[in-house]
Formats: sequence, C-alpha cells, structure tokens
Amino acid sequence: MSLREPAWRVTARELESSFEEEKGEGERPATYLLSPFGARMNRVLLAGNLSPAESIGRDESQSFWRARLSDPTGAVAVTAGSFQPRAMAQLRSASAPRPAIVVGKAHLFRGRDGVGYVSVRAEGVRSVAETDERAALAEIVRQTLDRLDLIERLEKAPGLTEEQLREGHLPSNWLRAARASRERYPNVDRVAFRRELANAVRRVGGESGPSRATLPTPPTVTVTRAPPPSPARAVPSVAERAEESLFLDQLDDLADVSADGYADLKEVLSRVSVQGLVGDRAETVLNRLEEEGVIEEPIVGKLRRA
Amino acid sequence: MRSTFWENFATTLRESGSEGEKAYHRPHRPSRLLGSHGSSSVHDGALLSAKEVAPLDAAFMSAEPAAAPIETRLRDLRPTTSPVEFVARVVVCERREVTRKSDGSRRPLLSGLLSDGTATVRFTWWDPPREEIERGLVLRVVGAEVREFRGRPEVTFGWKTRVAPASPAELPRVDAEEIPFRTVQELRPSEEGFRLEVRVVRIAPKSVTVGTERRVVHEGLVADRTGAITLSSWSDFGLKAGEAVRIAGAYVRAFRSRPQLVLDERATVVRVEGNDLPDPAQLLESPPRSIADVEDEGGGAAVAVEGLVVGLLPPSGIVFRCPTCQRTVRSGICRVHGQVEGQPDLRARIVLDDGTGALTVNANRADTEKLWGVTLEEAEARLRSQPDPSLIEEQLLETLLGRRLRVRGAGTRDEFGVTLTPESIERVDIDLDAAAEELSARLGERR
Repeated sequence: MSLREPAWRVTARELESSFEEEKGEGERPATYLLSPFGARMNRVLLAGNLSPAESIGRDESQSFWRARLSDPTGAVAVTAGSFQPRAMAQLRSASAPRPAIVVGKAHLFRGRDGVGYVSVRAEGVRSVAETDERAALAEIVRQTLDRLDLIERLEKAPGLTEEQLREGHLPSNWLRAARASRERYPNVDRVAFRRELANAVRRVGGESGPSRATLPTPPTVTVTRAPPPSPARAVPSVAERAEESLFLDQLDDLADVSADGYADLKEVLSRVSVQGLVGDRAETVLNRLEEEGVIEEPIVGKLRRA
Repeated sequence: MRSTFWENFATTLRESGSEGEKAYHRPHRPSRLLGSHGSSSVHDGALLSAKEVAPLDAAFMSAEPAAAPIETRLRDLRPTTSPVEFVARVVVCERREVTRKSDGSRRPLLSGLLSDGTATVRFTWWDPPREEIERGLVLRVVGAEVREFRGRPEVTFGWKTRVAPASPAELPRVDAEEIPFRTVQELRPSEEGFRLEVRVVRIAPKSVTVGTERRVVHEGLVADRTGAITLSSWSDFGLKAGEAVRIAGAYVRAFRSRPQLVLDERATVVRVEGNDLPDPAQLLESPPRSIADVEDEGGGAAVAVEGLVVGLLPPSGIVFRCPTCQRTVRSGICRVHGQVEGQPDLRARIVLDDGTGALTVNANRADTEKLWGVTLEEAEARLRSQPDPSLIEEQLLETLLGRRLRVRGAGTRDEFGVTLTPESIERVDIDLDAAAEELSARLGERR
C-alpha cells in the first residue's frame, strides 16, 4: 500500500541542516531527506515570507522558476517547473514579498564538491494573510518541538519499546524518523536548534514582522557552493579552536603525503568525522578557516594552507 | 399426491411435531438403490411421511452402513466425513438450477443460510422439494455433509440426507450467559454469536428497495468506549438515540469496506443502564485524532480529524453527474447508463494533512459552497465566461490551500489511503497569542 506522504511541518533552518537521504521501499521507492531533528521528509509544508520569483530556466520551452521562502529561522529556495504548472503560476504571480504557505517535495541537490543544497519543489503555493502564516508557523514550531522531545526521550531511554513510545498515539513514522535522525546525525547540537525556534515563536506572537531573506537569491542553481550561512560570529570558543586545530592537523598530514601538496577535501572530512567532527560542524569549521584566510581551496575539493 | 406430502410437512410443523409422525424429505436418488420400494416418479423430490420413510431407511442402512449422525450445534460444525444432525432455521434461501456438464440435464438446488442461534452457515440442498421453503422455517436435518469453503463450514444436503420440519422448540437452547461479550473495536466482518452493550448515538428509518420489495431499514450509529460502528436494523426494535442497549444475535458484515452491525428478526435487544457507555453528545464532539492513527485503524464510523488542506484530487470543482445514478459523467457518457445529459454539481476532493498523515475528504456541494464561498450557479457562470473547468478547480484550490479544517465523518481505507465522507466540515482558527504563549513556555522549560 503506498499511502500519500504526509507533509512534514518544518522550518527553513531544519531543511537547510539536512543532507542525509534515504530510499523508501517498494516498486517505485520514494526518496526521503532525513533531518537532524526527527523528520523523514518526502513532502514538506513551510510558512514564511516568499520573495518574487525569477526565471532560472535555460530554455524557453522548459521554464523553471525559483523564489526564496524566509521564515524566522532561515531561508530556503522554492522552485517550480512546467511539471508543477499551478505552483509555477503562483510563484510567478507576485511582484513583492508576501506571506505564503508552501507545500512541496524536499529536494537535495549535491554539487560536484559534495555539498548539498536543499530546495523545495513546490506542489502548492498560496499567498495568505499574515495571521494564517503565523498560525501555520505555530503548528510548524509545535510539531518540531514534539519531534525534538521524542528524540530526547529516545536518548534518555534507548531501551523503550515501540509500545511505550507510542503511548499518546505517536505516529510510527515519527518514531522511525527520530531513530534515523539520531543514527545519521550523532553530533548535532539540537539544543542550539531548539533555542533558534524562539525567533519563530516571537513571530507567532506577532512580536516580529515578516522575515526577510537573510541571503540574496543565488544567481543560478548550479552555483558551486552555497554562500556560507554567516550570521556575524563572535570570537571562536576554546572548543571551536580545538576543532580547528584537529581539522588543520588532518589537513597537514594529508598534504604531506600527497603528490601535489594538496589535501583532498573529502579525505579530510572523512578523517575528522572519525574523530567526532561530523557533517555540519566540520563544514562550519572549514568555512571559518577559509574565511579567516588560514586555508584555501584553489581547486574545488583540494585544500592547502594559505 | 405431492400436496398431501407438503400438508403433512406443514401440519407437522404447526403441531410442533418433534414427537409422533415425522415427515422427511428424501431427494431423488439413483433408481438402482430404490430396489422394490417404489418408483422415483412418485417420490422424486417430495416429502415423505415417516411411515413411508421407514422401509426406505432399512434399504439405506443396508446399502450404506454409515455411522449414526450426531446432533450438533452449528457453532460446533467442523468439516468431517461423518454426517451430522442439527436443527436450524432458514434465514434466507434461493432456488436455482444448475446444468450438468455430462448430459446437459438441469438439476434443481436450494441454497441459502441456516442459523440455530449459535452460528449461521450456508447450505446447499440438492433436489429440494417442489414446495416452497420459506424464510423462518425450522428444519431438522439428518445426515448432512459438512465442508469448508473459504475457511467457513458449509452444509450440503444430498440424496442421503433426510430433512424434516421441526418446531422452534427443538432449536438448541442457547444460554444467554454463554454468549461472549464483544467490544465494538473487536468486531470484524462476518462475526456473529456475540453480545454487545452499546449506546445508540443516532438512528433513523430509511425506506429501501430490496429486489422488488420495499423494506424499511433503521440505520444509525452505536458506540461503546472502544469505538463506534454503523448499525443497520431490518427489524424495528424501537431504538431511540441516547438509549443504552444489550444486543444479542446480531452479526457483522462488511459494508463499503467498513464493518457494519446488522440486526434482523433473530436479534434480541434489551435496554440496559449502560453507565459506562459514552454519552452520544460526547462521542459526536470527540476531539480530533491524528491522521496517522486513523490510517492505522483503517478509518471508522465516527472519525474526527483536523489538518491543513494541502491539495485537491480530481475530479474537484464542477462535475457532471448522471441524472439516474449520480455517477460522474465523462465525455457525456455514464458508466452504467451510457449517453446522458449530465447534471452539473460542485464537489471538492480535499487532501487534508496534519503532519502525521494525509487523507481525502469528499466534500459535497453544500460543503464545497460553504468553504469556497461560491455557489454552483456562480461557478457555472464563471465556466460560461471562461470555458475551462480546470480554472474553476484552480480557483477552488486557491481558496482552500493551507486552510485549517476540522472534519467529522465516516472513514474507509483502500489502497490509496483513507477517504472520509464528512458529516461536518468546520474551519478552525488558531488563537495566536495562546499558541505563542504555550510554545514559548515549552521552549523555556529547558533554558
């Protein structure tokens, strides 16, 4: 039985943080994007401020449009092509940012450098009143908190049986997603993510205005690297410095033994992940080191000391 | 001659002739076994009085020394090789003829359902008497063959089987205390022989045509603490909404892939106190459940869910229906009635999603008009000015998408998921201040 995939209520931040995929079962398996916060997404529902769309289609007959949906936690690209004519018409219809609800499929694009970019292929887009957007956001935050609580329960008592966990009629797909999240993102800082939801709650209560896209829309989908998510950072902590030195040590070791004097990015990432510096955090360290001018990447995927 | 036999039969029945003269029906049997005891032209397919049967019996016994049948209750029937004896009432029966493959001759048979209060089984009666066998007739059957078909026992009456009318007093005595209690949640299609204590949530008579006959069926909803089930009663038990009743002798069938409780003349209904049964009002206003739950349980007779509209399924918007059968008409052709003039109607097949699962809500014209704020007439006017039905659907979706709805109704599940036939669809608005307060409290817990 292939039931319709539920639309996971997620924030833009949660989508941005997701880069693990999983194939479903059956004859025509669906693809699921696993989030670090307990969602196993095929279909998603977001609410936020939707920017005017721009055409990114390369040829006239294959039109493709993209807009950016910003909520208080982040922003994510929303696309629609000729296979989603209704959503495309909706995306194109606006000339100014407006509050909107978007339903669509989560889509992970992996660039040649292995970096993933998440977008939403819209199935339904609707401009709504601000109160409707805030109401949808309230549900998104509530369900996100429910999922985080579930992961926390799993962490505290891994031995809980299916039945104990499902008390209170917890959907089985949530339980499955929570387990997968714990497994695939062992080192994610869920507490920090939880704190970020406070912005969204302020928006629900009407204390803050419509969200603005924190980032300009990138010019094309084929950008080689997403602009780093860089809210002005404070001085790195001791722990962060330790991560940096771990990263640099591995980079130096690899550069020493390689023929061309470069360290391969993937190898560095795999080495540091063995030492507990995984995924998102390794990426952050890499970005920070590049920004600070400690290392450079003159060839895509090849690192060296600047 | 034959009518005399039948009178015998009927008289015996009236006089509750468990004692005294018994009339047996012995179907046609091969003439070589008849020997000198008579010609088949006389006794073929008719009922015999016990006196006539007696000498024939001897012939049978000598020809086929079978074990003496054991009287059994239908509930205890198991497929065996040894013949059984039982007393049961005809619930329904139908006379047919089958054509033999070998010589093309036609052989009459009577088939239907027999019940003795403990269970109901299908029966097949080869070469039945020509006289009419009516519903409600009680029969004593000796030497029937028990077979299994699709996991349920069935009985066959062949030429070795003797069938005679019996009195209702001969039916096995079923001690009420013996019948197990079931909860609504436990009921599965084709279940019977249980007792049930339920609250009548609603009930209303409805006139239906069964074959050529007009009958009144009382349809409604009953519930206990474990769930609700639709009820269809073919006898009038004077049920009223709000009553608590103990029902025995009902059975469960699958109606539109959902279990339905069926009461007929075999059922008994007793009013009870029912203190632990839910209040009907409370049941009709139960809080919404997660759609994942509803999907797991395969729907239900009284389901309440709340979610956001995430899409519409075709056909939605303006549809054209066959004036005779209400089916949707495609290209002016009804699946059943061929070329027809379709009558315009408005509907919305709403995909409702609450983040745990999704289901389809089939909204009728009144609900669609209320949700959309556009009447069928206005929609038709739009269709005339822009003759593209998909634009109508588009405008309907534009209004509905992302809207929060609470839907109550009956849900069925098929391979595509659960479909709800709504009794009520309400728009729900969220109190944003309260939501913000609740959420920030939840965030604050861990600071």
